[in-house]
Amino acid sequence: MEKWLGKLRDQSLFSKIFVVMVISIVLVTVLITGVTVQLSQQLFVQTFSITNSKIIDQIKSGLDNSHYTAVNTAINVGQSGVIRSFMTEKDGSSLANFKRYYSMRDQMDRIQSGIGAANVGLSILGGNGRSYTSDVTYWSGSSEQLKNNPITAAAQEQGGRLFYSFMDAGPLNSGNRYLVAAKALTAPGLAEPYGTLYMFTRESDFRKNYTSFTSRGNDVMFLDTAGRIVSSNRTEQTGSLSPDLLASAKHIALGNLASEELTIAGRDVIVLADYLPSYNFYIVNLIDKDRTIGTLLDKKALVLIGAAIAAVAVLVVYFLTKRLTKSLRTLVKKMSNVTKKNFHNYMSVTGTYETRQLSTAYNYMLKELNDYVAQLVETQKEQRNAELAALQQQINPHFLYNTLASVNILVQRGSKEQATETIHALISLLQNTISNVKETITVEEELVNLKHYIFINQVRNGNRVKVETFVSPDCMKDKVPKLILQPFIENAFFHAFNIKTSGYIYVTIMKDRDTLHCEVVDTGDGMDLDSKQDIPDSTSSRQLFSGIGIRNVHDRLMLLYGEPYGVSISSTPGQGTKVSIKIPC
Amino acid sequence: MKKKATALLLAGFLMLTACSSNANTNNQADTGSEGNAAGSQKITVWAWDKNFNIAAMNLAKDAYVADHPDAQIEVVEYAQDDIIQKMNTGLNSGTASGLPNIVLIEDYRAQSFLQTYPDSFQELGDAINASDFADYKLGPTSFDGKQYGVPFDSGVVGLYVRTDYLQEAGYTVDDLQDIDWQQYIEIGKAVKAKTGKDMLTQDPNDLGLIRMMIQSAGSWYLKEDGTTPDLKDNAVLKEAFESYKELMNANIVKINSDWSSFLAGFNSGDVASIPTGNWITPSVKSAADQSGKWAVVPFPKLKNAANSVHASNLGGSSWYVLNNEGKEAAVEFLGATLGSDVDLYQKLVTDVGVIGTYKPAAEGEAYGAADEFFGGQKVIADFAKWTAEIPNVNYGLHTYAIEDILKVEMQNYLNGTAVDKALSDAQSQAESQIQ
Repeated sequence: MEKWLGKLRDQSLFSKIFVVMVISIVLVTVLITGVTVQLSQQLFVQTFSITNSKIIDQIKSGLDNSHYTAVNTAINVGQSGVIRSFMTEKDGSSLANFKRYYSMRDQMDRIQSGIGAANVGLSILGGNGRSYTSDVTYWSGSSEQLKNNPITAAAQEQGGRLFYSFMDAGPLNSGNRYLVAAKALTAPGLAEPYGTLYMFTRESDFRKNYTSFTSRGNDVMFLDTAGRIVSSNRTEQTGSLSPDLLASAKHIALGNLASEELTIAGRDVIVLADYLPSYNFYIVNLIDKDRTIGTLLDKKALVLIGAAIAAVAVLVVYFLTKRLTKSLRTLVKKMSNVTKKNFHNYMSVTGTYETRQLSTAYNYMLKELNDYVAQLVETQKEQRNAELAALQQQINPHFLYNTLASVNILVQRGSKEQATETIHALISLLQNTISNVKETITVEEELVNLKHYIFINQVRNGNRVKVETFVSPDCMKDKVPKLILQPFIENAFFHAFNIKTSGYIYVTIMKDRDTLHCEVVDTGDGMDLDSKQDIPDSTSSRQLFSGIGIRNVHDRLMLLYGEPYGVSISSTPGQGTKVSIKIPC
Repeated sequence: MKKKATALLLAGFLMLTACSSNANTNNQADTGSEGNAAGSQKITVWAWDKNFNIAAMNLAKDAYVADHPDAQIEVVEYAQDDIIQKMNTGLNSGTASGLPNIVLIEDYRAQSFLQTYPDSFQELGDAINASDFADYKLGPTSFDGKQYGVPFDSGVVGLYVRTDYLQEAGYTVDDLQDIDWQQYIEIGKAVKAKTGKDMLTQDPNDLGLIRMMIQSAGSWYLKEDGTTPDLKDNAVLKEAFESYKELMNANIVKINSDWSSFLAGFNSGDVASIPTGNWITPSVKSAADQSGKWAVVPFPKLKNAANSVHASNLGGSSWYVLNNEGKEAAVEFLGATLGSDVDLYQKLVTDVGVIGTYKPAAEGEAYGAADEFFGGQKVIADFAKWTAEIPNVNYGLHTYAIEDILKVEMQNYLNGTAVDKALSDAQSQAESQIQ
């Protein structure tokens, strides 16, 4: 868990980018899908409203034709004197009736043939109780039953108007539903209508006027003013009452609206409606949004496609981000390693252009840094060297004064040879220190310098301190920094024999593989060395010959040769001091 | 972690494709099942008269479906004129689509269909045994020696009489046995005088009575060949016309305008008799309050026509199979039911009142049953007996075409034209129309 968390932390950049991208992709996909669906739905509804209102117009014009036929039929029946006589006269003899019936039938057949191929059943019912029905399948009841039908009463109420009504399935009309156009037949001069004309149209035939325009979820129905569905392509609805639809249809027809959206029986529908004045019906077009739009607009497919695109995008983003951040991550890892005192951790230049540039720049920076550091070290070295050189060339005037004073005494004492020897030593010493500007000299030359220096000192201070040198012959040609041993010998001469008056100083030089070991051991007083400070700080003590102190020697060696080299001092009070110098050769 | 995420995404893709492919298979399954539904053959039957032909066909359907549970039979009611119109329209245009598998055709019209559209009907072959049916039905239902129709109801006619009215007028049922039309008119006058009731109803547009009269004497509108009009100098037809006019002049006829008023005429008790086909029995019996007041006597014969008998025919129809998709199933259905099922014929008699022309059925119980409505008379047996006596005539192709001419000439005749002139005019019109 912790490991995992750690990994997560390592990839926080990746996680952040990825999460943001995923959220945006999902959001964009969802929004676009939603907006597309919304837009196409609106477009669909608009288109549907437009085309369907045209369809309604077409249905209307078809129905107007039917209505015109009905009106014509009614006029023909109403104008026929034979038919009026049939419906008004009293029964006469068989023969007279025979003729009347025959001519009535003749007229009716002619009128029927004028209707043409339309399936319309005609019935007439006279005030005298006589009736005629052209086709028994439309109406098989007796004239009495026809008279008692509510449509007859309604026809009387309507005056001479042709009106349409719905006749439900009944035993008298072969179990069919009918739309009946009825008209009370009137004549000028007659107070009461003399008969009634019925024009039966099967609801199934009436339906043919519009079923071709309907489809699943796109229903057309006709409502009478009582809200009864008199015809519908959904046959199960025919005959039922639907006040909701009626209200909506009225609203649309009166308000001259294009369409209205409603929720009927839990379904979202678009309602288009119009009033048919000739029929006194409302034509209603119901479009089931879910069904029709569902078939046109495959929401599921749309969502699935959206999801697929989002998934692909997420996948791509995942790998892309992962790749992009990978080099960055390695960059970060490397950089964090660099901080641990190592400026040599160069990076491999890989990854994208940006990371490559960054790595290059970083590497360049490291390189520059290293160069700079090297330069700095070099400069410091040189500075120290310059310092030393300056020091080396500084002969302490006291040394000269003392030496010359000693020579003076020697001359006064008449020791001419010793004086000359001393002067020689001094000259050679001065020559070697001042004139020879080379930094390093051979051990041999160093020993010569030492000899001169010791000689001069012994001239001045007597022979109570003896110096013995033991030099391994193979070391003679090795190079050592100039005047490296002198400060220690001087130290031993002037500080080691304050209590003891005489003793020895041993100088040993030998080689151990690549290292030159030089030791200056005295048998003097020794001292208590502070354990922490191997090398006594001798800056304060005045140097007798040159400005070079012991401390300086050590620093110089360190500077020249590095860590393992340098000066170490061990001392035991009363027994003497041992100075070891390690130099590479 | 990377692997996990990849696997997840891959799984997501698989699901997506799986979903869409699922939807596809569903759709295919849907169309497949629709195809199957269409494949199981539905037999469509067209007929008219829901109380008679339709009811009979529904009985046959029930009997068949009991043995063949997956059979689909749809019986559709149309007016006879609609059926003729639709058949003519469809067959003329050469397509039988939109036409039914089985159609009921009136015997009068059968030949015109069979001869006009010889290839449109399916020969029944071995599905029925033609000799099992009444002889007079075989003429109209066959053509060129091949049997096309399954003979259905007998159009045998009788004279339905109101015994109570007759009694009031001083007659008994026995007085009406084997009478001729002159006697019938006399009785009618007496009945009208005593009871005020008319003797019969007639529709000026239906010369069924004329047809019954002439067939009883073995004559028809056409000669034996079935095409030559036989109106002028047709003594039988002339006598029928004269008898018809006498009925009118005797003022004993209640005129009706349509089927409903025809039914209303006797159901309301306005007439004393109905000279018509036996198929009216159910309608007569529908007025249950008149039970026991009716009897059926033999059809009156023409007085002067030498070979006139007390038996004739009116209407009657047969079932035909159209030569279109599903004909095999339709033939099988008809053969298994109306072509051979004796029990079905008993049921037809008891439940609907259809007297079939299937001879073996006459042996059944239902045919010998006494009918209380007719005062215990064994009417079915009587009708079956008269069926055998019906003179065989060739209805030919033009029964109704000629009748349309005769209706007009009848008017002229009733208005005073001499009968010979009327018939001669009809003859010349018929000859010019029928070629």
